[in-house]
Amino acid sequence: MSEELSDGVKELESMIGEEYKYGFTTDVEYEDFPKGISEEIVRELSRVKEEPEWMTEFRVKAYHAWKEMEEPTWFNATYKKPDFENMLYYSAPKKKPQLDSMDDVDPNIRETYEKLGIPLEEQKMLSGVAVDAVFDSVSIFTSFKEKLAEAGVIFCSMSEAIKEHPELVKKYMASVVPVRDNFYSALNSAVFSDGSFCYIPKNTKCPMELSTYFRINNMESGQFERTLIVAEEGASVSYLEGCTAPMYDENQLHAAVVELVALDDADIKYSTIQNWYSGDENGKGGIYNFVTKRGICKGKNSHISWTQLETGSAVTLKYPSVILKGDNSVGEFYSVAVTTKKQQADTGTKMIHLGKNTKSTIISKGISAGQSNNSYRGEVKISKNATGSKNYSVCDSMLIGQECGAHTFPYISSENPSSSVEHEATTSRVGEEQIFYLMQRGISEQDAISMIINGFVKDVLKELPLEFAVEANKLLDVKLEGSVG
Amino acid sequence: MSEVIQRDTMLSYITGSVESSAESVAIRAINERGREDLEKTPFPTRKDEDWRFVDLKSITKSQFCKLEEANAADVGDISEHYLPEAMNCRLVFVNGVYNEELSSVEDLPNNVIVGNLAANADNNSVKEHLGTITNYDDDVFAPFNDAAFTDGAFIYVPEETVVRTPIHILNVFTDAEKAFYATPRLLYVGEMFSKSTIIEEHIGLADNQYLNVPVTEFKMFTGSNVHHARIQRDSKNASHVSRPIAILDKNAEYHSYTICLGAKLFRNDPRVIQNAEEVNFTVDGLVLIDGNQIADTHSIMDHRFAHAGSHQLHKVVVNDSAHSVFNGKIFVAKDAQKIDSFQENRNLLLSENGKVNTKPQLEIFADDVLCSHGATIGQLQDEEVFYLQSRGLTEQKSRELLVYAFALESVESMEVESVEKLLLSEVIEYTNRDNK
Repeated sequence: MSEELSDGVKELESMIGEEYKYGFTTDVEYEDFPKGISEEIVRELSRVKEEPEWMTEFRVKAYHAWKEMEEPTWFNATYKKPDFENMLYYSAPKKKPQLDSMDDVDPNIRETYEKLGIPLEEQKMLSGVAVDAVFDSVSIFTSFKEKLAEAGVIFCSMSEAIKEHPELVKKYMASVVPVRDNFYSALNSAVFSDGSFCYIPKNTKCPMELSTYFRINNMESGQFERTLIVAEEGASVSYLEGCTAPMYDENQLHAAVVELVALDDADIKYSTIQNWYSGDENGKGGIYNFVTKRGICKGKNSHISWTQLETGSAVTLKYPSVILKGDNSVGEFYSVAVTTKKQQADTGTKMIHLGKNTKSTIISKGISAGQSNNSYRGEVKISKNATGSKNYSVCDSMLIGQECGAHTFPYISSENPSSSVEHEATTSRVGEEQIFYLMQRGISEQDAISMIINGFVKDVLKELPLEFAVEANKLLDVKLEGSVG
Repeated sequence: MSEVIQRDTMLSYITGSVESSAESVAIRAINERGREDLEKTPFPTRKDEDWRFVDLKSITKSQFCKLEEANAADVGDISEHYLPEAMNCRLVFVNGVYNEELSSVEDLPNNVIVGNLAANADNNSVKEHLGTITNYDDDVFAPFNDAAFTDGAFIYVPEETVVRTPIHILNVFTDAEKAFYATPRLLYVGEMFSKSTIIEEHIGLADNQYLNVPVTEFKMFTGSNVHHARIQRDSKNASHVSRPIAILDKNAEYHSYTICLGAKLFRNDPRVIQNAEEVNFTVDGLVLIDGNQIADTHSIMDHRFAHAGSHQLHKVVVNDSAHSVFNGKIFVAKDAQKIDSFQENRNLLLSENGKVNTKPQLEIFADDVLCSHGATIGQLQDEEVFYLQSRGLTEQKSRELLVYAFALESVESMEVESVEKLLLSEVIEYTNRDNK
């Protein structure tokens, strides 16, 4: 390696390790809950949220299920286990503002949004995106509700849905991710604070992209979001989720559950940008992101697509999956995971082919730098009845620096002689020849590295909806643009 | 805390105790160590990640006795299994026991040793290396071999010596009244800049049930070169669990090719460990299974130092209710830069009830590397079948030809002509099976 090049890599590394830009906290008073977890706490939580009896029972049952389960340890990451007894399970802004207009929102909160660069009003007016902003746990702002209502789309917080649409919640909640699915889904089922609920009726195309911004703001408060999206026959929706969190020393746990249900001919596209605090140089602090995301293509010709850009969190364990139950259904997974400093990411997907002629595509790109470890873990399963099914997977990893690691654990199985599975994976670094080629075209070294990395992740970023693509580019810039300097 | 559950050990499936009858003190010491390991390691179950997909019933539903108690048949004439190229360079083991009469070692270059371990137990290389190369964590099969073996094959190639004749290690298993176990062992020591070709064969002469647990150890000094072919044609009711391992010094080259045709349960954990910079190795495999056969390969290509080229091509054809498992790991340690490693797993799934599990795995801790893997599970392309049919072949014939071509690539790597021929006839027999 030439000396200049190694300088370039150093610079790139230093820029990748850039301080967390969104690390500030907003001073809002909290109605604090006692720490720890017990049946009483779960019941109290349900009571504070004014939930109906069936929901309280659901939570209590989940709590007892969780009590019996053991914390999983199979993933490729080491971290200090969260102390479940020393955690806050509920926090909400004390004064719940009555929202007639933006002016009614707590000025502190509005300021936070501004610092984050989320122009709520602008988005409202210019981009036509309905924003259900979740500040810590309780939804405080929902816009475009009327317009959505006109189309018959229900888009509200989970607490609201439990009260106003109990029949839908009862029917679909925990139908994709059962309570006992795993340790964290059980915990979430017991103590989930709030989240988004979205229902698209028959043959309706959701008139706008739906979006939720999550933000963890209260120290020691784990976030237990619960999202449920149901697309009826012939319905289609694109849902965006983006996260930034302030800088804290204490590890915070985020154990969300996201469930997608697509009926006949329905189409759900779920995009995520995740940029939570990843801890400092020494791996101190940072968010634990243990999320269960799963969609089911229940009906014929249905389609579910996951796109994610994972750049934050100290530890990420996340496997957005698709169960391809309906015949001719399609599942897709596009992911870019960037790890720097001492971050650890173990992420990937599961594609379970049950229906005939089902198809799935997996494109996963991992970039590891610093002392981080980045793992792809995926499962493709073609069952006996899934005749004529196809899967195509690509998992590429790029290593920047000599102390990081990249790992691939794809589980592939087929029990069917008319289906085909293809899997490819490569691990390498930014090629010297590639840099040289660009440089001899008059491009600076930093620009060249940046271009190569952009090219590396392009397959995935192009899947993001336009509104998000801009933000994704910004985020990658923050993480990687240093080399362009 | 969860209660301690008493799990079975390997010895649960063995009648009587595994006592050492080896004369050599060195071998007895290894036997002792193996017995200790066996007692503390539980027998694997499907809850263990490495055994998740494989059904071990053919071992756990049986009891295996010592050969002496099995009342095994005589070996008879096995000359049809001799390789013409290696007529004078052959070690024969019958049911794991060295048979001097059937073996023939002549005209070897000076100081080359091809013999049995028991007779060479005082050799310095044996003392130094036997039992030191095998390295499997939480394993019961390598320790079982350690505990039970009393003899085995020993090959020593001195410095700058090339053995041109292929060395044939022939393990044959005869019919027996009771299911017995065998623990063949092979130690290969290649000194600096030595070169040889080893053909290791396991043949079941009847359809009886037995448990074959071979361990092979290859110590490769600087610049040494080995071509190691392993052909497994055990009885269709046998279980074969093997532990072949090679450790490579600077500039060493080790190329292994494992062909799996027989056995009801075949489990193979090849491991190549890089012990210095600049090495080159291959861990290829071909699996042709049908009926109720299970073939499971868990390989590790362990790159511990910089500069290595390694390649793995693992091809599998599955028919009937057979089940193939592949778990191939490319490991690159920190600072092991400039590694070029490629792994390919191609599975041809031909039947409704067949099953394929594959998990190619990369674990990379160095940045300046080029490591990749590819895995496919599929069937014959309709276009290809159509093309051949349009040339006048029947559909059946077209399919046979395509399966034959699929397997051919692996067979062609055999450097010994008679082995290649033998394998081709085996492949044809496999592909033509429906015509019988």
